[in-house]
Amino acid sequence: MQGFALYPFDPPGDIAALRADLRRWLADNQPRGDVVARANCWASFDPDFSRALGAAGYIGMTLPARYGGGDRHPLERYVVIEELLAAGAPVGAHWIADRQTGPLILRYGSEDQRQRYLPGIAAGELYACIGLSEPGAGSDLAAVRTTARETAEGWRINGQKIWTTGAHFSHIMLALVRSEEDSERNAGLSQLLIDLDTPGITVHPIIDMAGHHDFNEVFFDDVLVPNGALVGERGQGWKQVTAELGLERSGPERYLSSHALLVALVDAAGPDPDGEMATLIGELAAEMWTLRQLSMSTAAKLAAGDDPMVEASVVKELGNAFEQDMPRRVQAIVDCGWDDPDDLAKLLRALLVASPSFSLRGGTREVIRGIIARGLGLR
Amino acid sequence: MSAARDMLCATARAVFADAATAGMGPIEGAGFGLLLVAEDQDGFGGDWGDVNAVLQIAGVMVPDLAVAELIAGQALQPAATVSLMAGAMGQALALSIEHVNMRQQFGRPLGKFQAVQQSLAVMACEVRAVEAAAAALAARLDAVNLDPLAADFEIAAAKLRANRAVGVVTAIAHQVHGAIGFTKDYDLHRVTIPLMRWRGAHGNDTYWAQRLGRQAAGFGGRGLWAMMTERSDVHRRAE
Ligand SMILES: Cc1cc2nc3c(=O)[nH]c(=O)nc-3n(C[C@H](O)[C@H](O)[C@H](O)COP(=O)(O)OP(=O)(O)OC[C@H]3O[C@@H](n4cnc5c(N)ncnc54)[C@H](O)[C@@H]3O)c2cc1C
Repeated sequence: MQGFALYPFDPPGDIAALRADLRRWLADNQPRGDVVARANCWASFDPDFSRALGAAGYIGMTLPARYGGGDRHPLERYVVIEELLAAGAPVGAHWIADRQTGPLILRYGSEDQRQRYLPGIAAGELYACIGLSEPGAGSDLAAVRTTARETAEGWRINGQKIWTTGAHFSHIMLALVRSEEDSERNAGLSQLLIDLDTPGITVHPIIDMAGHHDFNEVFFDDVLVPNGALVGERGQGWKQVTAELGLERSGPERYLSSHALLVALVDAAGPDPDGEMATLIGELAAEMWTLRQLSMSTAAKLAAGDDPMVEASVVKELGNAFEQDMPRRVQAIVDCGWDDPDDLAKLLRALLVASPSFSLRGGTREVIRGIIARGLGLR
Repeated sequence: MSAARDMLCATARAVFADAATAGMGPIEGAGFGLLLVAEDQDGFGGDWGDVNAVLQIAGVMVPDLAVAELIAGQALQPAATVSLMAGAMGQALALSIEHVNMRQQFGRPLGKFQAVQQSLAVMACEVRAVEAAAAALAARLDAVNLDPLAADFEIAAAKLRANRAVGVVTAIAHQVHGAIGFTKDYDLHRVTIPLMRWRGAHGNDTYWAQRLGRQAAGFGGRGLWAMMTERSDVHRRAE
């Protein structure tokens, strides 16, 4: 993977105008609310905001107009999502549907599925969750055991998913299941699009260490979904999931989700910070600037139809490290109490507590480094 | 890369190979001092993208010669150093990969051990970050006609990022090499010692961090993002 140049980030149209329009829109429509909701904002659930954002044309931007999309270039969408993240907008409700489920349905789904789901996704009204992890299948995703058997009436699903973000508010789950009897590892897997109101599905909350209800356990007890729930090719689930993870790992959320803390730090420091504070801000700014270049290049490569698996992993690895490092370093030099009521203290506490998850969700640090090592030809 | 830049790089490799023993003579003779001089003034008419490419090669092949000083003026030396560093880091990574694939212990190549793989992944991320910083800095410099003041943020960010990568890159490269990498005969020190030197040259970490930090503080919390996007949107228009 050596010596590759930056992919030129060259979206069509007037990007400065796209940014300016969105900033104006956000000034009018972004909830003022709690500053903590601005940190880790792609986990902030706000269906009213999502609906308004969809109506304004900022969701499903790359989907074809005939499915309610905006027919826009993927890099125009990139500009929009980096703006939303930098502003700390509460994009959690529609985030997964917009980022990966929609594009996956467009690429692998049937015409029926596209017509049924894509318009709702683009409207910011239909939410999706990712059914990959199971109790016995974390890093080792090929160990999934949830089964789906094809019968005359449809697919019959039995098993359990876990850590499913947003299953409690989502309408659909794109699940990886074992469709072929006696299959092993990454063979014999398929992706099913499951309506979560189907009888036999139970969603149990799991409360995270911050006290939030974001992820869940999802149980499937003889759940019957139509034959048309299969997405793409039977038995090709592994290949499709790999593409999905490419979308999941390559975005600017891997370095911009804590931006609210940097904003609060710079504001608290004022225009003339002392040496130690200036050093910290400078180092954070340099890292963020560099990550933005890497992220834009990765997005451009993805938009050009290439597979940026390794580059996306580099962004995730460095982005996770940056976002885990930032609250620790801020705490090390800023004098504020754990329960102080000011913005900086509240953001700091929220991100210190949230940040252990950054190098777990979307693939652990060790798994991501393994992908990079494979890119180096070591495995 | 354009065909013209490919050719330029091929020439640089050939000339630097001679210069490695003969000194600056071949480099001056081949006209590298005219790289940034306009064509209508009998120069090569190159841009900073070309300089970045040439200096990455120089950073590997002739790290001790004053190639950067020949090509660019004083105010652009920090930017030039980023390119030298990117090149040297790429070489440190290449040598490390080659070594762990060849050297066997416990009956298999070192590269098959997960601990070694994970170390090299960490190193590769740093190298990639510096390559990206050098390329993005080049894009900015070319968009503002090499005005160092108009690229002050990017110069500071890129040099600081490169400086910060030196510790990780040199440490991991030497660690995976074992004792052989600590010898005069083996090539690793030809890039790691220059990297140590370049970290302190043309502004060490604290120098650039404080400069950048004060600049960022001047923009204010939200202003920092507005400024970063405005600067990159502008250079896309200029391209
Ligand atoms: C906030 C959050 C949201 C999530 N949302 C979703 C979701 O929406 N949908 C979903 O499907 N999943 C989701 N996940 C689950 C996530 O994908 C898993 O946590 C992750 O894949 C790791 O699996 P695990 O937790 O079982 O850890 P394990 O796989 O048990 O790993 C534990 C530790 O051991 C390390 N390890 C494991 N195997 C190896 C190995 N071979 N070599 C070296 N080290 C190894 C890991 O890197 C890790 O550090 C979410 C997780 C979090 C924290």
